[in-house]
Amino acid sequence: MTTEARLDRIRGAVPPRNHNARTIAALTSNPGCARRAIMDAAGVDKQRLAACAGFPAPFGQSQFAITRGNAFEAQVKANGCAELLRLLREGLGLPIPEVSYDDLEEVAGNTSRELRHARTRSLLARAAASGADAGTLFDHPLLRLAVAGQQVYLEPDLIAFQLHGQFHVVEMKSFAVIDGQADGDKVAAAATQSAVYVLALRELLAGEGYGPDSVSHEAVLVCPENFSNAPVATLVDVRKQLTVLRRQLSRLERIDSLAELLPPGLTFDLMIDEAGVAFRPAAELTEAIRTVPARYVPECLASCEMCYFCRDEARGTTAALGRDVRDDLGAVETVSAVLGLADGTLTPADEQAEAAAMLQAAARLRRETPGGAA
Amino acid sequence: MEAIERRIEKLRAEVRRATASGDRVRARAMRAELREAEHVWDEALAALEEKSATASSAPVSRSGPLLPIREQVHQALTVLGTPAAQRLIIAVHDAFFGSPLAAARLTSLRRDEERSFRAAPYSRPYYLCAALTADLLAPARGLLAVSTWPMERRVIGPLSPRVNYLEAAIRVAESLLRAPEPGPAAQRLLRRFAVNIPGAGDGAKPRDPQRVAAAARAELEVHSGEDRAVRSEAAARARIQLHDAEQLFGSRIRVIPRTGTGA
Amino acid sequence: MSTLTALARAQAVARRIAQPVATVRHVHVSDRPLVLIPLALAGEANAPLAAMVGDEPGSPRLVVVHQPRNRDQRFAFAAALAGIVVGYVEAFRSAVETIPSGQGREPRVRCADAPQVLVPNPAGIGFVRLLGRSTRFRRSYGEYAVDPAVPVLGRWLTFLAERAEYPGSCLLLAATDALALHWASGQSPVEDLNLAALLGWIDPPAGMTGPEAAAAAEDPVLWPPAGPVTDPTFDNEVLAPLIEACARAGDGTGARRRAESALEAAVSAQLTPTWGLMWRGVGLLRALPPGGRVAARWDGDKDAFTRHAEHLRAGGPPQPRRDSAVAAARRLDWMERALASYAVQRALDDPLVLAEYRMTGEAFVGIVTAAEPGPDRRLGQAAQAAPADHRHHGGPSAGRGRRPAAVPGPARAERAGRLRVAIGPAGAGRTGRAAAGRPGRRGGPGAVRRDGPGAHADPGQRSGGGRPGLLHDAVRLLPAVRDVPAARGDAVDARRPAARVRARRRGR
Repeated sequence: MTTEARLDRIRGAVPPRNHNARTIAALTSNPGCARRAIMDAAGVDKQRLAACAGFPAPFGQSQFAITRGNAFEAQVKANGCAELLRLLREGLGLPIPEVSYDDLEEVAGNTSRELRHARTRSLLARAAASGADAGTLFDHPLLRLAVAGQQVYLEPDLIAFQLHGQFHVVEMKSFAVIDGQADGDKVAAAATQSAVYVLALRELLAGEGYGPDSVSHEAVLVCPENFSNAPVATLVDVRKQLTVLRRQLSRLERIDSLAELLPPGLTFDLMIDEAGVAFRPAAELTEAIRTVPARYVPECLASCEMCYFCRDEARGTTAALGRDVRDDLGAVETVSAVLGLADGTLTPADEQAEAAAMLQAAARLRRETPGGAA
Repeated sequence: MEAIERRIEKLRAEVRRATASGDRVRARAMRAELREAEHVWDEALAALEEKSATASSAPVSRSGPLLPIREQVHQALTVLGTPAAQRLIIAVHDAFFGSPLAAARLTSLRRDEERSFRAAPYSRPYYLCAALTADLLAPARGLLAVSTWPMERRVIGPLSPRVNYLEAAIRVAESLLRAPEPGPAAQRLLRRFAVNIPGAGDGAKPRDPQRVAAAARAELEVHSGEDRAVRSEAAARARIQLHDAEQLFGSRIRVIPRTGTGA
Repeated sequence: MSTLTALARAQAVARRIAQPVATVRHVHVSDRPLVLIPLALAGEANAPLAAMVGDEPGSPRLVVVHQPRNRDQRFAFAAALAGIVVGYVEAFRSAVETIPSGQGREPRVRCADAPQVLVPNPAGIGFVRLLGRSTRFRRSYGEYAVDPAVPVLGRWLTFLAERAEYPGSCLLLAATDALALHWASGQSPVEDLNLAALLGWIDPPAGMTGPEAAAAAEDPVLWPPAGPVTDPTFDNEVLAPLIEACARAGDGTGARRRAESALEAAVSAQLTPTWGLMWRGVGLLRALPPGGRVAARWDGDKDAFTRHAEHLRAGGPPQPRRDSAVAAARRLDWMERALASYAVQRALDDPLVLAEYRMTGEAFVGIVTAAEPGPDRRLGQAAQAAPADHRHHGGPSAGRGRRPAAVPGPARAERAGRLRVAIGPAGAGRTGRAAAGRPGRRGGPGAVRRDGPGAHADPGQRSGGGRPGLLHDAVRLLPAVRDVPAARGDAVDARRPAARVRARRRGR
C-alpha cells in the first residue's frame, strides 16, 4: 500500500483538511509526536476526531478577534495601501515612484485557486524579471507549498517587492506594539507564519529560475501602535524559523517510514452520515488512535486539538506534570515509579540510579520536616 | 420578558456546549432555536422602544437623511472625482454633508444598480457603477464610480489606486478651502490624507489644506504620466470589446487579457 | 524546580489532592484586600469589558462597558473603576506609624498599612499594567479630555504593576502564583494557571477528589475562565448578540436599558464564580501561619507605598514609558538582589523550602565546631573540612556510604567572625565559582555556591556579583552569637539562632 493510500485510509472518506500558514507553523511545535505527524500528513480533522473520541478540544476563535484583525488589515490596505506605503517609505526607504498595486484576490470574479495561483506566478515572475516598474504591492497573492506530499495553497496578507530587487513578505497582525514592545509569543508565532510564506514564495520563484535571495529573510510585521489603530511596521528576521520549518517539512516527507509501522487497516474514519452525525463508536476510535504513539506535553494544551485525549492517556506519567518535572526526573517515566523509587520499594534501573538517590533524599527531607507531608 | 431571557440563557449554554464538543448538528439546531428566541426578544425590545419613544422626546441626534442612499453616494463621489471604496465615501459624506451613511446599506448598492440598469438601460441620469481593472477589465473589488464619468476615469491600472488617492486629497483640500466652516470630521479627513502624503505637513494642527494639496500634486507628477498611458489604453480596449453593461459593471464571464504586452 | 517539588507533585497525583510545599505562608495577606477580576474584549490591546471588584466577599461591585469599542465608554469605565480602586488605595494614606530611630537613623513616618490588590492570575497583572499604561498619560483637559480620576488610577495601577515585578512584594498578587507557592498540585504548572483547577486540587469540594474537581473546573460553561481573556464560545454566542442589541437600541430608551441590564447579567454570571474562588483562595492562605520575615517584607511594601503616595501628593510626573539605560540597569541589579534575598528569606522561614536548597547543595546542615572571633564578619572562605557530626546532612552525596565519625562537644563562639563548620567528608566548605547556569549536583554538599539560591531563577538571569547566598546571609544575621546551641546539630541551620537574634532585637 502506498503511503498516500495509507494516509487516505487513515483519514477516512472525507476530503483532507486544508492547511494554512497557521497550521503549517503549528507543525513545528512538538515535532517528536508521531500521532500528530500522521494526522497532519493525512489531513485529519483533529477537532472533530477529538470530540468523537469523547475529548472535545477547548479551541475556538472569538469573533471579536477576527473582526478586529480584518478591520485592521482593511485599514492598512485602504486606498492602495496608503498607510502601508507610508510605513515602507519611512521605515524601509521605499522610493516614491514605487506605488504600484495589484489585487490578486480574484481573477475577473473567478476565485478558483489554480487560476489565482497562475496569475500570481505570472505577475511575480514579471516583477522579478523587469525590476522596479513591474509591481510593488501584490495583495492577496496565492502561493503554494508542498507539505507532506500535498500542494497547499497559502495566502499571505501581502507581498511587497521593493528596492534591492528583493521581495518581502508583509504580515498584518492586530496585536499591539506598546512602547516598542510586543508580546513575545505572538511575535514568534507571526514570525513562523511569515517564514511559511517566505518558503512558499521562494519555491514559486525557484520555479521561474530565481534563487532564494530573491526573497528577503526579513518579513515586515505591521501592528497597531500603543492603544490606537495607527499601524507601525517592524522588520523581523525569520531565518531561524525557516530552518526549523524546513527541517519539520522534510520530516513530514519521510512520513513513509512512520506510516509503514502502522497496521494497514488503521482508520480514523468517523463514519459520518448524510446528516453530518458521526457514528464511529468512541471506544473503537480511541483504540485506533492509540495505535499511533503520541508525545504529550502540557504545551499541547495550547496548540493541538487532540490535547485532552492525549492528556488523559498520559495520566500518571511524569511528562504530564510538565517540563520541569521531566527534566528533573529524566529517566523516571511514571508517577508510580517516582514514588516507588522514593520509598525504596522499587529497584532503580542503571540510568535511574541518580534520580533514585535524589528522590530518596527528597522523601526523607519531606518526611522529617515538621509540617511537611510525609 | 424575563421568561424569554431565561430561555435564551439556557439555549446559549446549550449552543456553547454543542460547539465546544464539536457536535455541529446539534449546535446548528440549538442555534436556530436561539436565534428565534432572540428575535422574539428583539421584537419585545422594539415594542418597548416604541412605547418610550412616544413618551419621551425624539432622541434622533441628527436630522434624518433627506436623500436616498444612492444620491448621497453620488454626492460624495462627485466631491472625490475618482472611484473610491466604501470607507472613503462614508468619510467624505460625513465630512461635507453632515450625516453618517450606514455602511451596511452600501454593500449591495452596486449589485442593485446593475440590476436596475439591465432592466431599463439609461433610464436614470446616472448610475453608480464599478471601476474596471486595466488588465482584465473586470470589476475592481470594493470600488464605486459614477457612470457619467469618462471611461478613462473608470479604469484602474496598477498606479491608479495611489493616483486616485492623491487626487482625492487635492479635491478634499480644495473643498475645505471653499467650505465656510469645516467641521471636525472634515479636519480629521484632511489629516488622514496628510499623514500618508510626504511633505504634506509636519504634524501641525490643524492641517493646512494648501500644503496638503501642494504635496499631493508634487507626488502626482511622478506617477500620472504612466498611469494615464495605462488607463487610456485600457479605456480604448473596453470601448471596443465590451458592451454597455459590461463597460459599466465589468466583465465577469470572459476574461479579456491584454494582448502582446507583458510577460 | 527541584526534585522535592517534583516528588510533591507525584505525591499529589497518587493521593489525589495537592501537597503542601511550604509550612508557613510566604505572602502577606491583608485584612482588607481588594479583589479585582478584569475581563477584556478579545483582539484588542486593552479594551476593558468589565471588572468585578471589592474588598468584602459579600459585596462585589460590577463595572461594565456596554460598547467596548467606544473610546468614551472605555474611559468612563476607567473613571468608574477609579472611583472604587483609587478610593480604596488612598484610604491607606490616612493612618501612619512612626518607625523608631535605630542604627543612626532618624525616626520617620510611614503609612501604617498598605493596600493589597489581588487578581486571579498573571494575565490579570498584565491587564493592570496595560490599563495603567493606557490611562496614566491622559489629560483631563483638551481635545481628548477624560475624567481627572483616570490618570490617577493609571499611576496607581502602574505603580502596583511595577511593584509586582519585585520579588517578595505583595502589593499586587496573582492568586494562582500565591497559591502555587504553597501547594503542589498533581497537574502541570501550565494547568495551574487556571484558578478553578488549582483550587480544585488544593481544596476539592466534599465528595470530589482533586483531579475530579480540576476536571470539572475546565468546563467553561460551568466555570468561566478567570479572565481577562473570555471564552470564545461566550464571546460568539452570548456577548456579541448582547453588545449588538445595546448598539441597536436608541439612546436613553427602555430598550437600551433592558439590553444593557441583560449584558450586565451575562457578564456578572461570568465573573461571580471567580469572585467566590478568589475569596476561597484568600481563606486558604490566611489559614497558614505567616513566615517570620513576611512582616518585614510587607514593611518594605509599606515604604514603597508611602513613597509613591508622597510623590503623587507633591505633584510628581507619571512613570515614564521606558526606562533610561541607567534606570534599567539599576532596576535589573535591584531585582536580582531582591530575588536572591527573597529566596534566602523563604528558606530561612520555612524548613520545607530550606530542604529544597539542601537538596541542591546550596544549603547544608552541620555542627559548628569552632568559631574564630574577629572583626571580619564575612564568611569569605567557609570552614575547612573536619570530621563531621553524626547527623545526616542534607544533600545526597553526603549520605552515600561514608558515615563520618562523630565529634563530640559543643562549639562556642564569642563573636562569630568566622564559623568553622563541620559538614561532610571531603571537600566540605569550599567556596568557588559554580558553573554558570543551573547548579549541578556536584560540588558536594558543602560547596557554597557563589550563585546562591538565586540560581533557582531563570538561568538566563545573571547572578549579581558574588553573593554567597544562604550561608553568607545566615551569618550576617548572627552578628553577635553568644552561644551556639550545643551538639544537637543544625547549628548552621541559621534559622533558629537568627530567630533568637531577631527576638533580641525586637526587645522581647
